[in-house]
Amino acid sequence: MDEFLQQVLSGIAAGGIYASLALALVLIYNAMGLVNFAQGEMAMFIGGIVIQRIVIRPVERAPVLTLVIVTLGLATLINGLAGFFFGYLPRSFPSPFSVQTVDILGAAASWQDLGVMAVSGVVLVLVFFMLQRTSVGLAMRAAAHNPEASRLLGIRVSWMLALGWGLASAVGAVSGIMVAPILYLEPNMMQTVIIYAFAAAVLGGIESPLGAVIGGLIVGVTVNLAGTYLPGVGGDLQLAVAFAIIIAVLVIRPNGLLGRRAMRRA
Amino acid sequence: MSALLELDGVRAGYGHTRVLHGVSMSVGDGDVVALLGANGAGKTTTLRAITGGVRWDGIINFAGHSLHRATTETIVRMGIAHVPEGRGVLTELTVEENLRLGAYLRRDGDGIAKDYDRVFGYFPILRERRKLSASTLSGGEQQMLALARALLMRPKLLLLDEPSLGLAPLVVRSIFDIIRAVNESDRVAVLLVEQNARIALELSSRAYVLEVGRVAVAGESAKLKNQESVRRSYLGY
Repeated sequence: MDEFLQQVLSGIAAGGIYASLALALVLIYNAMGLVNFAQGEMAMFIGGIVIQRIVIRPVERAPVLTLVIVTLGLATLINGLAGFFFGYLPRSFPSPFSVQTVDILGAAASWQDLGVMAVSGVVLVLVFFMLQRTSVGLAMRAAAHNPEASRLLGIRVSWMLALGWGLASAVGAVSGIMVAPILYLEPNMMQTVIIYAFAAAVLGGIESPLGAVIGGLIVGVTVNLAGTYLPGVGGDLQLAVAFAIIIAVLVIRPNGLLGRRAMRRA
Repeated sequence: MSALLELDGVRAGYGHTRVLHGVSMSVGDGDVVALLGANGAGKTTTLRAITGGVRWDGIINFAGHSLHRATTETIVRMGIAHVPEGRGVLTELTVEENLRLGAYLRRDGDGIAKDYDRVFGYFPILRERRKLSASTLSGGEQQMLALARALLMRPKLLLLDEPSLGLAPLVVRSIFDIIRAVNESDRVAVLLVEQNARIALELSSRAYVLEVGRVAVAGESAKLKNQESVRRSYLGY
């Protein structure tokens, strides 16, 4: 029982990281109608607004396939630049939280896990507050859903989309900072994390911010428990569990838990 | 004094298809002007040119400023509210959120509160439904929401694209009554695109009839109503 609780706790901690990154994916999906394949790489930068202005804006009205290729190129580019400037050797990244454990209901939880949970919790609450309660957030949602009608209300749509990219990259960067002490810091660090985030976003329903958070937590806990209790999964096949979740959702319930309609781009 | 809105020789189109071949017209301060014509005559395109939704050349001036190369956002900020074809209701948001976006550019809290009371006075149903998703509203209610939202923008000029489209006659009547009331109490100028020429000529003081991208007839609505050619082509009696 103690071990179970412990695994659930670290699953929630990992889930918080996936949730942040999944939320970043959802923010951009809503703004552009596409999955940003560069999101993982972008977690190494906070410069989302700059990227949107320089790289994305010129192709804003291009067909979705063009945009997908652009984000793939962006991922490769950022990855390469990070390698060029910082090298490919893994480095350790000091955790802001102590590795000591604290006893919670008989389970040993590390301060690291608790810190990650707290940070993701705060980030997610802030993003939701911004989207749901502020007028900028309202304008961002309007611009994402219906750019034409939003322009007629005086909303600067292009800037709102840039702000969406900025917010997404900031949220993504927080997930990167939290992952770094757990994994090792290197250019490909986010490539497994982004898969979990994809699974979380798909499970939640790719267009629902709340779904991304719920999906992130479910994926974190499921993957952790599968790694501990399912024979043969261990640490090595955890990624396979994420793929299994993606496939299962797409087969059984393509709209995800909270998605309202089938994925499509008008 | 020059007119609030002036178009002179406006040509516009989509890609290589030209829709407007030199449209000239004007809307005075506080005027209600009707823009009539058959499908495809260029009525919607004229409105879209005014708010920068389509590329155009020629002259469009609003309140003495040229709108050439101005973005939609800038034009709207100058005081033009455009209720587009299909109403432009944001169906992913609630009724209240739609209304809040109407007041998005305003910073005068007291004035906004007063205007909320006023639009809820015009459209009590919107107050009842304000927490609901705008997608749950009927066509008539969505038209009311679009109009209420436009009024919250406190425009100098209101562009309405077929407010009667798809609505029951009784609903059309009440919406037109409100447009008239708004025009009379606030002196908001209205440029009204309508298929329903009869009701448009009743409400407006002047009217233009577009034919294949040009103004074919222009004049006072009361006179046009009785003009043989207009009656036969657009009023059907």
